[in-house]
Amino acid sequence: MRYSDKKTIFHRLDPRTKIILSVGCACLIVIARSPAGLFLLFAALLCCFLGMRPSAATLRTTAKMMGAVFALTVISQGFFYYFEPRTPLFVLLEKGSGLPGRLTGGIALYKEGLVYGMVQSMRLFSAAVMSMIIVMSTYPSDLVLGLKRLGVPEKIAFMLTMGIRFLPAIMEESRRIMTAQKLRGLKIKGVKGNFAAFRSLIVPLITDSLRHGRRIALAAEVRGFTGTRTEIKNLKFAWLDWSALFTVITVVGVSITCRFYR
Amino acid sequence: MIEIKDLTYTYPEAENAAVRDISLHIKKGECVLFVGPSGSGKSTVLYCLNGLIPHIFAGNVKGSVTVEGISPQGVPIAELSKTVGTVFQNHESQIFMPTVEEDVAFGCENLLMARDAIIGRRDAAIEAMGLQDVRYAGTDTLSGGMKQRLAISSIYAMGPRLFLFDEPTADLDEEGRRDLVGILKKLKAAHHTIIVAEHRYDDLLPVADRVLFFEKGRVTEGVRKAGKGSSAAGGTNRAGNGAPHIELRNISFGYNRKAPVLENISLKIEKGEMVAICGNNGSGKTTLLKVMAAILRPVSGEAVIGGITNPALDDIVGSVGFLFQNPDEQLFTGSVEEELMFGPKRLGKKIDVGRYLKMAGLDSMMRRHPQTLSRGQRQLLAVLSVLAMEPQILLLDEPTTGLDDGTWHDLFRILRELTCTGRTVVFSTHHRRARELSDRVIALDRKGVTADAVF
Repeated sequence: MRYSDKKTIFHRLDPRTKIILSVGCACLIVIARSPAGLFLLFAALLCCFLGMRPSAATLRTTAKMMGAVFALTVISQGFFYYFEPRTPLFVLLEKGSGLPGRLTGGIALYKEGLVYGMVQSMRLFSAAVMSMIIVMSTYPSDLVLGLKRLGVPEKIAFMLTMGIRFLPAIMEESRRIMTAQKLRGLKIKGVKGNFAAFRSLIVPLITDSLRHGRRIALAAEVRGFTGTRTEIKNLKFAWLDWSALFTVITVVGVSITCRFYR
Repeated sequence: MIEIKDLTYTYPEAENAAVRDISLHIKKGECVLFVGPSGSGKSTVLYCLNGLIPHIFAGNVKGSVTVEGISPQGVPIAELSKTVGTVFQNHESQIFMPTVEEDVAFGCENLLMARDAIIGRRDAAIEAMGLQDVRYAGTDTLSGGMKQRLAISSIYAMGPRLFLFDEPTADLDEEGRRDLVGILKKLKAAHHTIIVAEHRYDDLLPVADRVLFFEKGRVTEGVRKAGKGSSAAGGTNRAGNGAPHIELRNISFGYNRKAPVLENISLKIEKGEMVAICGNNGSGKTTLLKVMAAILRPVSGEAVIGGITNPALDDIVGSVGFLFQNPDEQLFTGSVEEELMFGPKRLGKKIDVGRYLKMAGLDSMMRRHPQTLSRGQRQLLAVLSVLAMEPQILLLDEPTTGLDDGTWHDLFRILRELTCTGRTVVFSTHHRRARELSDRVIALDRKGVTADAVF
């Protein structure tokens, strides 16, 4: 999942607007309680996401991930729902049937649990889709610049930039280390194997990152980095941003009013 | 331009001085090479010029250094960077921004120049270094040579009059090195003063006005002939007999369907051969080695490795050893001894740790943590820890990167001993000298094998 250079309405928004939009969206996710409301939010975000014409591969992975998470959340919530009232749809294990029944207190699939699972996965998906929209439509350095203009200190913003820049390299490196381990005869199977693999992954990964970090620090020093910079890039608020902001503030405002003053 | 008088510097917590009583005078517009093995003090002198010593590395400085009348000790590094520009070896860690254009502007933005000035300098630097075509490209999509060029142009944009290069060619292929020489000529023509610290400098001699030799922190000046180095590790061994150890039949491989990296490659490598695979970055050297190591499976064709056709990784663990380019990614354990035992223990083999360590002169370091060894020692240890599994075939990806002459010599001696006992060694390289030390050279480019010569 990375930036794709297209000309959608989201690409035209100022990064600051997008950050505020995502904060607004997070508020809605927390405020909304009814399955219908959350579903509406999710559907709206999904439409925006599809409007960005993601590639078939992205769509496939997203659909697979969401399918898996949805199934898992709904089923687990369905079985392990604790709040009352709860209506069992069917009973897997009677409460009083033998030792397992007594130990578990009975296992049943609850209707309210299923609904709760759906609500939770809608929340999760809404947040995920929102962040995907931002990542796909905002150039990484613009996002950092947006954060800076919203008051995030330069040093933290710079760390973020470095994170975005070096994360793929670190992932690549861990892949190489794991191949090297396998070639040296390490079998990554079972808890013990996994633990051994993890231990021997973490040592080279950390030492190498430290060395790398040191080199980066030296290079940053000789390029005059002190923590204060002039930015040549400029951000501009256009009418589109104002209208987006107006919309999100209105929607969040209305939702809060409905939720607390009804 | 540069005046160094009786410079002695000791790193914090080090016993011996890294450089001792160095006095130098370098004129404006000169191009000077600093050569010598790792740890001989080349980089230390560069650090004294760009202010990293004493601002970042504390330690004990004696003597005086001035650059254009400024004492680097007395001004902050950022201020000094307007006069002194430094390009390091590892291009990966000198690139800060996601696109070429933004990265070139990075330094100027740090110097708090006016917006228009930054844009002007950025565009001039992009033009001067010939980066127009990749101006909007993501920095992670560039080749090694282009990354180096980007690193130089980012420094160039800051407008320094003195350029320091700390081992700039180590990670470059032949094309990249030619490119670098071209850039150095250009900088020199524009009357910039240049200092290049390097192990391998044959390519750079045409641009250099002077060569200074560093050894154990002292410097001697002279015009020593571009040495080929000792070739004690030479001497060919053609034990080639019996069935081939590696046979590739019409191998093709690509990371995605549209762009194959290897196409219809066929070759045989016999037992006991020492083979160099060479070619520029992106020619598929590493990919070819990975196919030989069963890390990658060919999309079509057959790879017969040690008698097994298209083996899985698990089938060849132990009989084929593979060394990645960066030794640090392959040292997992807490001590040198443990590192050597790591592979054999898992294969249920017993080995004589002392014998292996003696091969590389590491016998006194058995208890040391691998990550505390020097770069050259780490490289040798990584080779040894693969050797300790007693593989029949040893594959090495760019094993000579960043090694000084001494380590280089040790490495080839060990590899040669191996082939004498009937093991097969295949390595990729872009160093001419490494090729000269092998029995056979396979040249690779995007079209496939372009030459295959046996000596």
